[in-house]
Amino acid sequence: MSGGVKSGKRKRDWFLIGGLVFLSFLLLFAIFGPAIRGAQLSAEAKRLDPTLRTYDPVMDRISAKTHEPPGPVALLGTDELQRDIVARLAQGARISLFVGFTVQIIAVVVGVAVGMAGVFAPKWIRGPLLRFTDGMFAFPDILLAILIVSIIGFTVNAVIVALAITAWPAIARLTVTQVATLKDREYVIAAKAAGAPTIYLIFKHILPQMTGVLMAYSMIELAGTILAESTLSFLGIGVQAPEATWGNMIGAARINMNSYPIELIWPCLILSLTIFSLNFVGDGIIARSDPKSR
Amino acid sequence: MLHYASVQLARALLLRILFGALSLFFISFVTFVADEIQPGDRATVEAGEKATPATVERIRENLGLNRPWPVRYAEYVGNALHGDFGKSYYGIKEPVATVVGRNFPVTVVIATSAITLASIIGIFLGTLASIWANRAGDRAILVGSTLFVTLPNFVLAPILVYIFCLQLNYLPQIWKPDRPEGDFWYLVLPVAVLAARPTALLTRLTRAKMVETMQMEFIRACVAKGVPPFRLVLRHGLRNAVLPVITAIGTSFGVLLTGSFVVETVFNLPGLGFLTIDAIRKGDMPVIQTCVLLTGAMFIFLNLIVDLMLPILDPRIRESQV
Repeated sequence: MSGGVKSGKRKRDWFLIGGLVFLSFLLLFAIFGPAIRGAQLSAEAKRLDPTLRTYDPVMDRISAKTHEPPGPVALLGTDELQRDIVARLAQGARISLFVGFTVQIIAVVVGVAVGMAGVFAPKWIRGPLLRFTDGMFAFPDILLAILIVSIIGFTVNAVIVALAITAWPAIARLTVTQVATLKDREYVIAAKAAGAPTIYLIFKHILPQMTGVLMAYSMIELAGTILAESTLSFLGIGVQAPEATWGNMIGAARINMNSYPIELIWPCLILSLTIFSLNFVGDGIIARSDPKSR
Repeated sequence: MLHYASVQLARALLLRILFGALSLFFISFVTFVADEIQPGDRATVEAGEKATPATVERIRENLGLNRPWPVRYAEYVGNALHGDFGKSYYGIKEPVATVVGRNFPVTVVIATSAITLASIIGIFLGTLASIWANRAGDRAILVGSTLFVTLPNFVLAPILVYIFCLQLNYLPQIWKPDRPEGDFWYLVLPVAVLAARPTALLTRLTRAKMVETMQMEFIRACVAKGVPPFRLVLRHGLRNAVLPVITAIGTSFGVLLTGSFVVETVFNLPGLGFLTIDAIRKGDMPVIQTCVLLTGAMFIFLNLIVDLMLPILDPRIRESQV
């Protein structure tokens, strides 16, 4: 925090703060957005449009008009099926964050376990395991994800499984390099000399030391996961309509882009900002926790 | 000594090729298993939706699909090694090799154009940024490249289409069977979108490596000797800094060849990525299998080439490997 070169540091901090602020809003939007918009819309829709008896949460229908321009009810307008764009963005945020966090939690658990085994397991397990991890890491993620999704189906759970399988090798490799330096620190060697079992060393001395770096990297990986989920949905082989995700919103809006380009802007903007923010925050945390790069 | 070194190199090469071949077998096995666990096979497709279970069973027997899976896998691999990847389930049931052979060149053309463009612009901008290090021009290039590294293809593509096709009306929007304006104009936007990310990556890498190189002792010696700036940057700086960039160009090319799904789908380009996505949507398993196998093979092969090229290009690595 203190010392160091002032000018270079402050600029990076602005990106970090900006990213954190955006992500906080996004989280609130994802948690409360659908409920608030749903309630508000059902009241408004009934009042304003007598042809619509109730707000239908499955179809998100609020208006009798397709492609309604932004107005007091639908703040950003409606899409081709009369659904409110704000409500769909919120639902998309919810799915993106849910898929992203679930995948990253699985990836961190599996990746750390494999990484630890890659350092501490006997050589005949360690060698093939690291080879396999490297092979998985080198294989193009999106291709593997596409293959897996094509086998299990185009659902949220299938997307989670596919992306988790592609996400863990990065964390495993990070764990291996982190642990390789940590396990030779004096306090770890001292604990080992005092007779502490390996499991104790891992949980008590090594893991707590690498949580910061692990979190920062999984933030950046989270951006990749959200992007991959959007890509699958955009290609029509991820989360399917009527469920809204940013990816399939972009995909649907692209088809109507000659007539209604405005509908393309919002999902693109929110997706790009999310990915930028996650990268800024991850880089910011790494820069802060690593004294060398300051 | 030299003899020993070449033996070592040959051994490493052989191991890598063996590992690559093993990976390919693994991929082929995974795609085969994928076909197994999917509901439906060639027999159900041939029989149509209204067929009775008995009919399906009879067709299955005729096609030899009721034999145990190891036999069928061996047959699949044997046929694949002879260039026979089966027939597509749909359309006119063309041999998969024909379909893939028709689509593959499109992907190669756009990926090659994109990587050429990205290499030229990326190395140029990166060198420029390193000359201006920490000044306004450098900052602008850095911010721009950060933007393009993270910007998804399917966000960039519609933006460019909106500007150049809908507003300015300079370029055609999507690939069509009849192309009045000449193929080149149809490929401008796809190549630009595809090149965006590698350009940004190569710019950043070139800048970083150039800044590192230009701080070295021998550069200072060159300055003291009076080497003109242009020659200093190009001959003494860039030649030393460019090696990791060449590796990155190789891996980026691999990513472009195997990851053009989005661009080909957006611009309706009949390439390998388009074919894969189309086959997945239809459930055309033989086509999916072959596409995945081919894409995986390309990726493994390119990585092998990159790894082999490095010791040839850089004497330092050559010596350290011995």
